[in-house]
Amino acid sequence: MGNLRYVGHEEVRSVDGWARVTGEAKYVCDMTLPGMLYAKVLRSPLPHARILTLDLAPALALPGVVAAITQADFVEHGNFGWPVRDNYVLAYQKVRYQGEAIAVVAAETEAVAKAGVEAIRLELAALPVVGDMQAALDADAPRIPPATVETDGNLGETIILRYGDPEPLLAASPVVVETSYDLRHQEHAYLETEGALAIPEPDGGVTLFANNQSPFINRDIVASVLGLPPQQVRSIQPHIGGTFGGKDDVLYECSAQVAKLALLTGRPVRLIFTRAESMLASYKRQALRVQLQLGADEHGNLQAAQVEMLADSGAYASMTPMAAWRATMHAAGAYRYQAVHVDTQVIYTNNGYSGAFRGFGNTQAAAAVEMAIDELAERLHRDPLEFRLQNCLRQGDRTMTGNLVEHEVGLAACLEWVRERSEWERQRARYASQPADAPRRHGIGVACYFHGCGLGGEGTDFAVSTLKIERDYSITLTSGLTDFGQGSRTVFTMLAAEELGVEMSRIQMLRPDTRTAIDSGPTVASRASIVGGNAVRVTAAKLGQRLRLAAADLCACAPAQLVRAGEQYVGPHAEPHSFEEVVDHARALGLQLAAEGRWEIPAVEWNLETGTGKPNFAYVFGAQVAEVEFNPRTGWTKVTGLWAAHDGGVILYPQGARGQLYGGIAQGVGYALMEGYLFKDGVPQRTDLRSYRVPRAIDLPEIEGTFIETRLNEGPYGAKNLAEPVMVGTAPAIANALFQATGVRVQQLPIPRQPRA
Amino acid sequence: MELNFILNGKPLTLTEVDEETTLLQLLRDRLGLTGAKRGCDTGVCGACSVLVDGRLAKSCRTPLAQVDGHEVTTIEGLRGPDGDLSALQTAFLEYGAVQCGFCTPGMVIAAEALLRRNPHPTRAEIRRGIAGNICRCTGYQQIVDAIEAAAAQRLAQEGEEDG
Ligand code: FES
Ligand code: FES
Repeated sequence: MGNLRYVGHEEVRSVDGWARVTGEAKYVCDMTLPGMLYAKVLRSPLPHARILTLDLAPALALPGVVAAITQADFVEHGNFGWPVRDNYVLAYQKVRYQGEAIAVVAAETEAVAKAGVEAIRLELAALPVVGDMQAALDADAPRIPPATVETDGNLGETIILRYGDPEPLLAASPVVVETSYDLRHQEHAYLETEGALAIPEPDGGVTLFANNQSPFINRDIVASVLGLPPQQVRSIQPHIGGTFGGKDDVLYECSAQVAKLALLTGRPVRLIFTRAESMLASYKRQALRVQLQLGADEHGNLQAAQVEMLADSGAYASMTPMAAWRATMHAAGAYRYQAVHVDTQVIYTNNGYSGAFRGFGNTQAAAAVEMAIDELAERLHRDPLEFRLQNCLRQGDRTMTGNLVEHEVGLAACLEWVRERSEWERQRARYASQPADAPRRHGIGVACYFHGCGLGGEGTDFAVSTLKIERDYSITLTSGLTDFGQGSRTVFTMLAAEELGVEMSRIQMLRPDTRTAIDSGPTVASRASIVGGNAVRVTAAKLGQRLRLAAADLCACAPAQLVRAGEQYVGPHAEPHSFEEVVDHARALGLQLAAEGRWEIPAVEWNLETGTGKPNFAYVFGAQVAEVEFNPRTGWTKVTGLWAAHDGGVILYPQGARGQLYGGIAQGVGYALMEGYLFKDGVPQRTDLRSYRVPRAIDLPEIEGTFIETRLNEGPYGAKNLAEPVMVGTAPAIANALFQATGVRVQQLPIPRQPRA
Repeated sequence: MELNFILNGKPLTLTEVDEETTLLQLLRDRLGLTGAKRGCDTGVCGACSVLVDGRLAKSCRTPLAQVDGHEVTTIEGLRGPDGDLSALQTAFLEYGAVQCGFCTPGMVIAAEALLRRNPHPTRAEIRRGIAGNICRCTGYQQIVDAIEAAAAQRLAQEGEEDG
């Protein structure tokens, strides 16, 4: 990439870094306005109950309380949900999980708002709690979703995959592993809790500052429950303190609540969740129960897989159907098979509710299959890494959904890299011969993964971007896809600068704002780099072409004869012309100096009825090795080494990519060993950061990581994606390492801490 | 109560201060210094970290009585007189230690406290030094890189000044 100025360069830095490192960046909790009211939420103390009495009068009677709202203040009781409309911005008739919002009070101070919430008269009639997915499917289980949603009792959706017929193949396989896994809920624990600030506008509309992930969906939902046209709701995203998939539905609720209060009172209203509230009321990574059968022939060639999964959606669907779809499409892993069947059921329970979280279903699916593959390798007396190399996807192979992979595949190279860097053979042999009664037992394990790029069959996958050259020659950039710490703003700025041949500092990327940017659907599934990146590129190419025309005219040559020297345009005959001169000339010629561009992912199609089709147009790949130390006396596991190789195509922003890699792995370590958001009969057991532990610097080893560069022709400059999938391989690699250390197979995540002395 | 303390190098007297308020509330809600963040309000996450007399303190757990007559430094007070970034802040940017940035002010403060105590920490000591601060985004590795580099640079600078 010798002639690229920014793409792939080590020196590119985050465009948001300065504001953040000085403490000047304003997050929504840092914003206050004169006359602003503080909002507090009344939440359900029970996981499942009918609302008998809800009386706001005692709250409204308190001095300093200005307004209070319930579902009755919204159109159709505030019914919303994307893609399934089964939720309410405030509970209607019933509460379905502990922590569900019931009413909101706005007051002059936070303390008064809290007193107001405590004064509300609430009477609930407890309903039987459904805390278990199997029990939820019983014929006499109480129905959880509202009657308006079409379901088969508590069974929300069934997702199938049909590729060939695994049954005869499994029957004929000399070695078949049959196993099951129980993968528990995970909390996002973004460091910034949920929050929104609503400001009433003179036209009867409302402006929102909210730390949501998808401002356009938020705008549309808020407008619909308020009965306003979408143009009268403006949603602006300030700096956001992490999301990892977790700031969608819960933010729609909280945005609608403050918006309504702002309209009622005519004053700005702000609501910021406490940590306990955030942990209680936000949605989680869905728990999955997985049953797997894998078969291989006597030469160790994988033959077939049969998988059944139950996905715990909790009280509301949120994105669980989509995450379960993705889990289904990845359930047998990054290997060649003759046949694969997967059946996944999405189930309503009273266990909070679940939605999007980094990895989006694949984190769970990959964990299960990678532990099973390890077991299969062991049964075949094969080295687990060698076994993976034999069976892993390569260019020209068919995936577990039966689709040909035509693009370059870096998976084998990833496996080889981690093998070499971890000194796999040597360590593996060393730990195999450690004494059974050693006070510390060691093990090393491997896992690999693939991850479909973009939304796939989950929705239309496009993005829109705009660019405009301002009077001062700076360039304003917008994108409908957003940044919440994962670095897209830097990537987009870089791509625009690269394509236009200007300094990055010339480009000002506006904060995502539904009034200035153009709707691009949700910012999920790590699609920002490919889809959003391409949209920026297309837009910049349009604008660049006009500048080129103007420059050619100035330089009295054909556009093709122009070269660039820094920002200057150089023709074959005349003096070089500065960017400013070219812009002035373009203006004089009457060329439009603003452009809009759209990019859509190549069409893929999935038939939900037959369970066949093409789920994703491309894949990323990766492999990780983990080394652990197990203390048999305490049951404590420490990760002592981690090696990670990721094939994310061409890496656009190396420093940011490494940050995603390390950050994803850290969340994977948490998922494997410490996190586990546990429910007992619908009651969350850990709602603070003391009992729900997330990894700290001392819980992690030094990570050695790399990117194996392949090219994806459709990606911007050949890039694929990486923010999500990098966490996918970590938990199973740790589980497999722990097997070498203890001789006991992991069946549950987080791995229960069990002394074995 | 009346409160006298030094905030970011400037003496400050405040009247009608509620004794129940924490230092974090005072900074954010009364003084408008929003650099210190509220990540948990229970002393677990470190996002609210400040220096009290040069030592690391979680301002959400610091009663004002402990501040009266003392010196408090927040992220806003770390920059040089002309607004230049401190060596630590520069290193955080250089090494990609900032993602969403919500932990960053507290993390920089924790690193500052560490380097004042131990100017030449090993990577393991750095990890222990920031163990009171949660970062959910970065996996800490680039934060450790940044602190290590800033330590080396501070030592080199002091060497020059002494020499
Ligand atoms: S806010 Fe003080 S430690 Fe979390
Ligand atoms: S950068 Fe997001 S919490 Fe540290």
